[in-house]
Amino acid sequence: MLVLTRKINEEIKIGHDVTIKVLSMTENQIKIGIDAPKSIQIYRGEVFAKVIETTIEASQASLQKQIDFVKYKIKKVND
Amino acid sequence: MKIKTYQFGEVEFTEDKIIKFSEGLYGFEQLKQYLFIKPDDSFFFWLNSIENPNIAFPLFGLRLVDGAYPQEEHFEGFGIVTLNNNPLKVTINMKAPVYINQDEKSGFQKIIDSDKFPVHYNLFIE
Repeated sequence: MLVLTRKINEEIKIGHDVTIKVLSMTENQIKIGIDAPKSIQIYRGEVFAKVIETTIEASQASLQKQIDFVKYKIKKVND
Repeated sequence: MKIKTYQFGEVEFTEDKIIKFSEGLYGFEQLKQYLFIKPDDSFFFWLNSIENPNIAFPLFGLRLVDGAYPQEEHFEGFGIVTLNNNPLKVTINMKAPVYINQDEKSGFQKIIDSDKFPVHYNLFIE
């Protein structure tokens, strides 16, 4: 892994299109700004790990019996 | 062409039915070709891998859960469902939508990194 030391407001460029800037720092938190083209997806590492875990879980879940889901109501957001 | 699936037994299909995910799904990056099927006796749509027919994901339309769910032009957004024998424990992944264009036979998945969209959203109420 490439390791760089940066001060507040200093930047790192990744290729031509991606800029990462250290915005502020407290004792245990660093605020980072990222400028990148829309085509590059950006998300927190733990979110990525959680999505993979959930997708693998979904691929393994199966039903032991036939269930009539039509009998249940969809729980809508904002209901 | 024919594949032997875990969920539906033998499924016959023609090449034009294949939905291509050029980057795969998260955790399944190596699987890029899927059949998108809606069996008569299933409440859900299914995305069944052609390269590994044992891998299948139940899908449900996200707009049916959240009328304001983010759209992608020409694509329909689905959430991957985690099944459970207790319907009240069935969840849908709202954080990593699967977008499918049935006309173009292509699909992709993205992550919406927002606390508004959980990976396990309970799909049913009584």
